Amino acid sequence: MSQEEPMLPDDEDDKRLMALVAAGDDDALRLLVHRHHARLVGYLRGEVGSQATAEELAMEVFIRLHRAASRWRPEAKLSTYLIHIAHNLVLNEWRRRGRKPTTALEFAAEPGDSSQQSARRVAELDEAFQRAIAQLPPEQRSAILLVVQQELPYEDIAEIMGVPVSSVKTWIHRARSRLRELLKDFYGNE
Amino acid sequence: MDNLNRPPFDQELAASLSRGRSVAVSGFADRVVGAVRADRRRRIVIRWSSVATAAAACLVAILALSTPSEEALNRQTLALVARDESAQFADLLGAADDLSLLSPAVEKSSVVDVLNAPGS
Repeated sequence: MSQEEPMLPDDEDDKRLMALVAAGDDDALRLLVHRHHARLVGYLRGEVGSQATAEELAMEVFIRLHRAASRWRPEAKLSTYLIHIAHNLVLNEWRRRGRKPTTALEFAAEPGDSSQQSARRVAELDEAFQRAIAQLPPEQRSAILLVVQQELPYEDIAEIMGVPVSSVKTWIHRARSRLRELLKDFYGNE
Repeated sequence: MDNLNRPPFDQELAASLSRGRSVAVSGFADRVVGAVRADRRRRIVIRWSSVATAAAACLVAILALSTPSEEALNRQTLALVARDESAQFADLLGAADDLSLLSPAVEKSSVVDVLNAPGS
């Protein structure tokens, strides 16, 4: 598994590629997947806590994108549309399983900017954050992942989750409070 | 956002989540294209199966509508039988008329008797 970042998405090029995908061009699909899959898998792994399940769901997202290519209208960015499909699949996944991701996560810490911290502390913190996020209610988890991890604006998150912006803000506030509570051993009373 | 003004919790939350923001998987695009091709083939098979099933249903319906019922078959058989008897009877009468025209001296009833006699 490589951690290199693919080319930055280009909205206009996405539209052009989607038109080609709708016409049955598999090479255009390959380019779109190469461009967008890393963020999609990252988001899904944050949601489901499993690399294998995240990859399966990401695969399903692109299959659905391909099926809908002829009907797709470029009203929103393709990356937002993909996250929207992914979010719906995550909801279906929890409904199918009949439970939420509260079990231990398969998580491999990756080296990040640890100039002021030891790699060990970074790994511990990452794991603690992942475990805490897995304990959040689904809507709070999705909202905090979309705003902090994917850096999406509130309006896009509201569209993806099909709720008003005010609900998104409430969930994010509650998620932060809950995470502080769950991680009080690390942060004490900040 | 200004990281320096944020408390450590928010900074570390953002740092931790951003480390998992992007997870590139080598060969993923090829796997997706393979899955999409399989999905495309499956949908073509399903579409043609539906067409074939609909066509077969139409054929069966046409055959069922065009095949007469047992009662209709009985009526047709009886009608054919009745038509055959009347034709035979008409033939007999026609022959008798012909004979009576050709041989006015012969009694019509005797000709009929001869014709109806066993072995005629």
